[in-house]
Amino acid sequence: MSKKSRSKIWFLVHSWLALPIWFFVLIVCVTGTLAVISQEIVWLANPPMRASQPSDDAPLLSYQQVIEAINKAEPQTVVQSISRPDESHFALDVEVSYPDGRSVVIYVNPYSGVIQGIAPQFNFRAFTRALHGWWLVPFTNGYSWGWYLVSFLGLPLLASLVTGLVVYKRFWKGFFRPTLRIRHGARIFWGDFHRLSGIWSIWFIAVISVTGTWFLIQALLFDNQISISTEKIIPAMSREAVPLSADGSPPPSIDLDRAVEIATQKISGLEASFVSLPGNAYSHLDVGGRGWYPLMFQTATINPYNGEIAASRLISDRSALEFVTESMRPLHTGDFGGLWIKLIWAFFGLLLSMMVLSGLLIWTRRTALATANAFKRSNKKQRDTAAQPATNHELSEVEL
Amino acid sequence: MSKDIAAPQPSRLSLFWHKWRFHLNVLLLLIPLGFMPKYFADEALMRGDSGLGEREVGEVRIGPWSLRLAELRNSAPMLEGPAGYMKGFNAALCEACIDQVKATYLRIGKPRSLRAAGVIFFGTPYRMGASLPVPEKTRADAELWITMEGWDGAMHQASIPLSQASPATIAWLNKQGGKP
Repeated sequence: MSKKSRSKIWFLVHSWLALPIWFFVLIVCVTGTLAVISQEIVWLANPPMRASQPSDDAPLLSYQQVIEAINKAEPQTVVQSISRPDESHFALDVEVSYPDGRSVVIYVNPYSGVIQGIAPQFNFRAFTRALHGWWLVPFTNGYSWGWYLVSFLGLPLLASLVTGLVVYKRFWKGFFRPTLRIRHGARIFWGDFHRLSGIWSIWFIAVISVTGTWFLIQALLFDNQISISTEKIIPAMSREAVPLSADGSPPPSIDLDRAVEIATQKISGLEASFVSLPGNAYSHLDVGGRGWYPLMFQTATINPYNGEIAASRLISDRSALEFVTESMRPLHTGDFGGLWIKLIWAFFGLLLSMMVLSGLLIWTRRTALATANAFKRSNKKQRDTAAQPATNHELSEVEL
Repeated sequence: MSKDIAAPQPSRLSLFWHKWRFHLNVLLLLIPLGFMPKYFADEALMRGDSGLGEREVGEVRIGPWSLRLAELRNSAPMLEGPAGYMKGFNAALCEACIDQVKATYLRIGKPRSLRAAGVIFFGTPYRMGASLPVPEKTRADAELWITMEGWDGAMHQASIPLSQASPATIAWLNKQGGKP
């Protein structure tokens, strides 16, 4: 096969990978981009979620001070967990349960402990994630088929990257001589745009497609009951471990600051970013946060009555395989290093969305016109000659 | 068949197909649109905005205490992989017993001891949930036993017919009656 016809085939493969599903790919890219910065969007739209430092030297309240402030303001409200978002301009997210049976997240000021509001009923962050992650198809037994539908896109995306680099001859030259011709018509502009954003997004498309494919593998493993986890299942506390109280009232448990202190002793360098209270009388209290490796969380599981550590999960506890697989999700979402990483992810997410659109525009401007023309011609000619195959035109402009 | 199909002239249908074939995937958007009402109903259910569960069973007295029981979903047990069929129940403790009750359990059939009281509820006294395994061969006249344990070691039990707790589960059991 000649070199030219081989590249024709690669070109056809490249255009066919996303073309028949371009709108689906586009919406997944757009919702993914929104999901990356969804927390920030909610922050902009929803003032109670913001936390401004009253003065430069105002100290943050400890977890125990926060829970005491909530208990004082609303004695009936039961706190289930407190989490400190990565970026300091966010209020604390506190999961609570109200006497009327509602379980909601409330925003608490990390400096004053004031309850600033309840998370809105429409959870934009969860919604964009659900739309992006599983196309809103409910999970019933195992992973939803929407999850498979979306995560399968990792494969054509990876193939698009590879074939794109194959058909774009000497693509590395594009780094040194960036071309974006604005005054030569839409076809030329979108072609230049597609190639220019493509080469600068190589790393991003590789990350997104590999991690996306991992989500597919993850679902396949789970649904076939294959586990690669080395994490031990922590048994509930034994009946004897929970003290009886003669007067029938709940026995005292350690305060949250003590729990954080115990966890920090066990896990050096731990920045406790959440405390999760026991789910019932026989379950533990969890304290966790990021360590030296920002892509993973470390947790300590603590007996709330005597402060003993029942289990811990450190970075060093992960197997080499888990080290890789557990890094996949943060790499996909860009949620591991604060606002700037998220903004970079969102920017390239937007660029990727634009690449789907520009790819489609290139195709419609060239191939669709050629096809339509071929049909017109064949209509004219069909009285005397046979129709000319339209596909000739589709192949005619391999050299972009 | 008619001769038109064999003619070289492209039919209206084929023109339409050639023009729109790559845009048909816009229809995939119907999937999330279709699931959207269920998504928001589920969100409201999980937040507790639409009550304790999809179907309230009512107040059940257990010795000196009582709780309000609800089916999380008004539907048959759901298959959860190797765990088998599970049925979700939610409960809320009576106001007076919040500080006295240490744990609440759920089991199909009478527990022989506190150690075999069944699945334990997780959550807060205002809203807690348990996922009850329902074997496929459960009898339709089975009873749902609720065990409550006090912080002082006291234990109280009560039962209600499974048919009262979850008619959807009974319907499901009856439907697959023949299965061993």
